[in-house]
Amino acid sequence: MSTAQVSIKDALYEPPGPKSRKVIGIATVITLTVLTILLALIIRQFYITGQLNARYWSFLGRASTWKFLGKGLLGTLEAAALAGGVTFAAGFCMMMGRISRYKVVRGISTAFIEFTRGVPTLLFIYFFFLVAPQLGWKLSALWKIAAPVAISASGVVAEVLRSGVNAVPKGQREAALSLGMRENTVFFRIIFPQALRYVIPALIAETVIVVKDTTFAYVVNFPDLMQNAKVLISNYDAMLSVYLLVACIYILINYLINKISDLTAGLQNITIGSSRGGGRAGGRYGAGRGE
Amino acid sequence: MVQAEENKEVLTEQSPIIELRNIDKYFGEHHVLKGISLTVKKGEVVVVIGPSGSGKSTLCRTINRLETIDSGEIIIDGVPMPGEGRKLAQLRAQIGMVFQSFNLFAHKNILDNVIMAPVEVLHMPKQQAKEEALQLLKRVGVESQAAKVPAQLSGGQQQRVAIARALAMHPKAILFDEPTSALDPEMINEVLDVMTELAAEGMTMVVVTHEMNFARRVADRIIFMDDGSILEENTPEEFFEHPKTQRAQDFLNSIKEH
Amino acid sequence: MSVQELLAEYGDKYVLALLTTWKLTALAFSAAFVIGIVVTVMRVSPVKPLRVAGDFYVQIFRNIPGAALLIVLVYALPYLNVVLSYFTCVLTATALIPAAFCSEYLMAGMNTIALGQIEAARALGMNFSQMIRLIVIPQALRSSVLPMTNLLVATMLTTALASQVPLNPTDLTGIVAHINTHAVGGVTAFLISAVLYCATAVVIGQIGNLIDRKARILR
Repeated sequence: MSTAQVSIKDALYEPPGPKSRKVIGIATVITLTVLTILLALIIRQFYITGQLNARYWSFLGRASTWKFLGKGLLGTLEAAALAGGVTFAAGFCMMMGRISRYKVVRGISTAFIEFTRGVPTLLFIYFFFLVAPQLGWKLSALWKIAAPVAISASGVVAEVLRSGVNAVPKGQREAALSLGMRENTVFFRIIFPQALRYVIPALIAETVIVVKDTTFAYVVNFPDLMQNAKVLISNYDAMLSVYLLVACIYILINYLINKISDLTAGLQNITIGSSRGGGRAGGRYGAGRGE
Repeated sequence: MVQAEENKEVLTEQSPIIELRNIDKYFGEHHVLKGISLTVKKGEVVVVIGPSGSGKSTLCRTINRLETIDSGEIIIDGVPMPGEGRKLAQLRAQIGMVFQSFNLFAHKNILDNVIMAPVEVLHMPKQQAKEEALQLLKRVGVESQAAKVPAQLSGGQQQRVAIARALAMHPKAILFDEPTSALDPEMINEVLDVMTELAAEGMTMVVVTHEMNFARRVADRIIFMDDGSILEENTPEEFFEHPKTQRAQDFLNSIKEH
Repeated sequence: MSVQELLAEYGDKYVLALLTTWKLTALAFSAAFVIGIVVTVMRVSPVKPLRVAGDFYVQIFRNIPGAALLIVLVYALPYLNVVLSYFTCVLTATALIPAAFCSEYLMAGMNTIALGQIEAARALGMNFSQMIRLIVIPQALRSSVLPMTNLLVATMLTTALASQVPLNPTDLTGIVAHINTHAVGGVTAFLISAVLYCATAVVIGQIGNLIDRKARILR
């Protein structure tokens, strides 16, 4: 009874008696020692290669550095916001096609969804960067990164939205129909708003994919955080420190997005297509396809 | 039943199968078990009743230390039960347990559920375990389901398999923690019938239940608990006809109204 | 260029590129699976620092963009006197990231085990290792089949990172960049790679569904 709310992590162990407490204590000390040694080795490597030298880190103290990185971050956010908007719109259309009553529309949408989920973002980026100009499409650098990122995320979003729609109880539709509403009204006024509420945490988590994919902006010469970092490197001649800093910034941003997703998931009881990965039917990669 | 009575006469001098001495347990501030002492002799059927939240289920789970205790002693067939380690597992293996929610292993079929512990814990040869398991499944009336997985069985069938799983360990006693509370009404009796039979065969049992008819019919002794304490300990006849405490009276009245 | 012309000139290279993508995917996924299991064991161990280290690993690698990780491995590590071959860099990046997700999926799989079964195992006298071996791992693995299938596809998509470093032979994404900077490959060059990726994904998905249907636990 008392274990009803405990996660499996803790349920695996019985409350430790004196003997197991001793074993755990010893293991804790050993682990801490090993981790400390590892950390010390890494710092030592930084030291003996001269990477701890102040000249590699002094840029952190300059306002201009942060202004420049901030500008890059704005570029990242701009691309991510545009891509996110397009992703949602495209994902919505693909979802509508996927649940359409017409077989042909369903087939095309399904094929399109599977296509976007089976092709790496980078390949779409090369399409917009190298192939599109051959077709005579004139796109700005912003669109060259936002469009492929959006396409590659749209299939995932379509499936997330669909899982939300499927999760709305049948009775909702029947009740609305019995009140004399038309099918379209039922969908847009009753079903979809509820579906959207269910999947908001998952949608927030999907923006992690978008943010990650925008790091390829350097391919199309769009000034995002990563691209500006490269400029910093040539200015300060500090490759290691700048790249580590930028990596940390990305990790922090995505960590925060995931935290927000978890928070919104905690606010509601039902969550479909959760950011935690696992059982989503036919989904791809939980939050983030690691690109 | 008669046989069990006779057995008891003969065996009174033996050490009890289960002995609890001054068990105290807290959930945070809440004192859930208050100095509980209890002995269960071989062949005895002890039924624990009481209002919900009285600590009766916790008491049952304490006997094989699925719940930690803050003080006191648990002695199984003369051997003190430690709080951890190999000895604890060995003693647990001697005491069967049947849960409210069956807790069959979802990834194994019915037969494998029954033979798993005898083979792995008692190191019984697989063939022997299988033969015994089939016998047990027959005894509880689910032998035709042996190849299915738990989710394909009704609640009543699952609980009977759980009883067979406990029996397969040749336990010295079996603990029943509200074994029929999660069942649909029409399945309650099929489980109670199996339990009644077990009692008649002389199995030592501790049963936490809300089934008063079962308690009256099968129990050798009724334990009435409220608020973490044992308030009454008596034969079923005495307890149901002449409860000594006001709270027991109130409890019995509240059930009668249903 | 038409499909025939393209395949006549670059057919062998496409085959090599497909094999490179498959090889990277297989190696990276195997490594990710092993690392994922180790990290998961750390995260469920009773030793606090191990749990923290495991959680830290997952947070870092599920949140770092693949490009950022690859760039750190290729360009930054040499400054610490750690010089890895391009292939090793790509493999490392495409293994470390899916490993974090692998651990997340395994944790999710374990959480589907009803806690009552753990109590039942204990009540039957099983010790910790028996409980883990007989109840926890089999159930966690069986309910992780579909997520692991998805992870394999995701790992394949991640291997497109290989196109960002000079590799010979290059992968399915790199070859499109290669053809289009040397000749006008057009949509066809892109589509051939895209179809090969998709076909691989579909096959993986079908096999995954097949295994899942056999392994799924009824609840």
